[in-house]
Amino acid sequence: MGLPGVFMVCNTFADDAKSAAADNGMPTVRRREISSADFYKLRGDVKTISPLVEGVFDALTKALTDPLAPEELEKGEQIVSDDLPAEVTVTADSYRLALEDFNQMYLDRRWGDGLPLIPPTPDAVKWMLSGTSRRRDEVIGTINPKHGIATIEKIAVNAVMAGAKPEYLPVIIAAVECLTDDSFDDLHILASAGSFNLLTVVSGPIAEEIGMEAGIGFMGHGWRANNTIGRAIRLATLNIGHTWPAINDMALTGRISPHTFFTICENAEFSPWQPYHASRGFNKGDSCVTVASIHGESQLNHFYGGMIGTWTAPGVLDRMVEDIQRNDRRSLFLWGSKGVGKYPGSGEGPRNHMIIVFPELAVEFKKMGFDQQKLQNEIYKRISNPYEDLNPAERKAMQKAIELGVIPAGRKEIFQLALKAGGKVPVLVSPDDLHVFVAGGAPGCAFSLNYYRVPPYNKTALMTKKITGAVLTRAGQ
Amino acid sequence: MNSKAASAKSDEVTLNVLNPRGKIEAVPATSPNPRLDNLDGKTIGLYSNSKPGMDNFYTVFEELLKKKYPTAKVVSMQGAFLIRDEDAQSLARQADAFVYGVGD
Repeated sequence: MGLPGVFMVCNTFADDAKSAAADNGMPTVRRREISSADFYKLRGDVKTISPLVEGVFDALTKALTDPLAPEELEKGEQIVSDDLPAEVTVTADSYRLALEDFNQMYLDRRWGDGLPLIPPTPDAVKWMLSGTSRRRDEVIGTINPKHGIATIEKIAVNAVMAGAKPEYLPVIIAAVECLTDDSFDDLHILASAGSFNLLTVVSGPIAEEIGMEAGIGFMGHGWRANNTIGRAIRLATLNIGHTWPAINDMALTGRISPHTFFTICENAEFSPWQPYHASRGFNKGDSCVTVASIHGESQLNHFYGGMIGTWTAPGVLDRMVEDIQRNDRRSLFLWGSKGVGKYPGSGEGPRNHMIIVFPELAVEFKKMGFDQQKLQNEIYKRISNPYEDLNPAERKAMQKAIELGVIPAGRKEIFQLALKAGGKVPVLVSPDDLHVFVAGGAPGCAFSLNYYRVPPYNKTALMTKKITGAVLTRAGQ
Repeated sequence: MNSKAASAKSDEVTLNVLNPRGKIEAVPATSPNPRLDNLDGKTIGLYSNSKPGMDNFYTVFEELLKKKYPTAKVVSMQGAFLIRDEDAQSLARQADAFVYGVGD
């Protein structure tokens, strides 16, 4: 900006601020800290916050006028990781001790995830790379927040550490390709205080070929392919992006399922529908990976089914409609916000839903005449509210959403017609914001995970890539 | 070498392991801009990333500023988590110095 400035930050985020300043080439930017314990407690009211402001006022104003010290004028250290060794040697009196020393050293360097790691020896990494035809030095992209460069080799090193097998590597690479896509917002799910999370969905024949579990317990433990693919993605983001809890990954409660994220596959065997990726423009026979940002903590809509109680497909559909309509209605008043990021509506306002349907329910839906697209359209049609039911704040927000482009040009006319007497106003921007796929066993349950339609720091929070380069499986080659 | 040492030596295990970290390209670093001589008659930009409560913080800050520097002015701006380019340019046009405040 070319002006003298001071960056004020709560003290529990001081390391994060320091790290971000260095990442952005301003290592000596002036920072002044305030107490997190005080700020968050007192900020709700001018009267209660006054003593805190009085306490920091001189420090802030002096930061704008006190001449820069010589060390501030130095440009600071250039940020490089080339000084780190490409290879590390651990020597001990037994294999048990060497394994323990290796694990402790990697954890001390923040190269681990807290669970025991498999040593990424050159031989093990070579074995891992046997799962792909892609060159080990191929650059896939960079991972936030430090923009570390993801090469095939670095992904393979992390995959070994995670306990993955070579036939899983092409899936892990495709997931990293999604995360590093220029339009995907990986920063929010890797660094935000909001404990946001990542859903990875593998679809197509490779899932079954490498032994991913799609039936009862599909989100749980005990499935080497699901669990170590997820862990490899977790380790790759941690190590290639250089994140660490309370330093620059500020998830206040951590990220649920912290060692594997949520890593699942579509149940192609029992799905009566086309693969999910076909609805995203890929060929039915392809194998793909989709990554989707999701809310943390309790943002799961449960639509029931299975053995929890008696159910019918129309009844579960009613529940989907009621839940989405009720929950997404709550954020209608935010649609008129410019958003918390660069793009209209980013980080608040309209959402999308990843709806997971169990096989028996999908079969019943098919009997009712619904393929995925028809189901999307049916749900969308029914999650509207009569214009007359909207309160003034909601009506204003919706109009503003059209002006700001939160509602994109292609949907503008639909909402303009809806925002009139007799109109029906949907609580989502488009039927395409309802993503439907089949997972789980018999009995199962239906639920959705949701997130913002537009994330805070980039254009999209949903990305699908075709798996390529596989050499140990028929699919994904 | 005694027998114990010889035995330990024969059991010794060496693991060569690869670095899992992604290389980071060097970022050109810049030092902060020169400071103001004083705040008298200056316009101070107060940028908030719109996190709740920063408006209350800045309300008190502005009152104190005007008390201590009666000729100083304030330009307040609420914006994105990471300031948008157009907002940064706007603030730069209006202010002589700025506070970038975030709740977290």
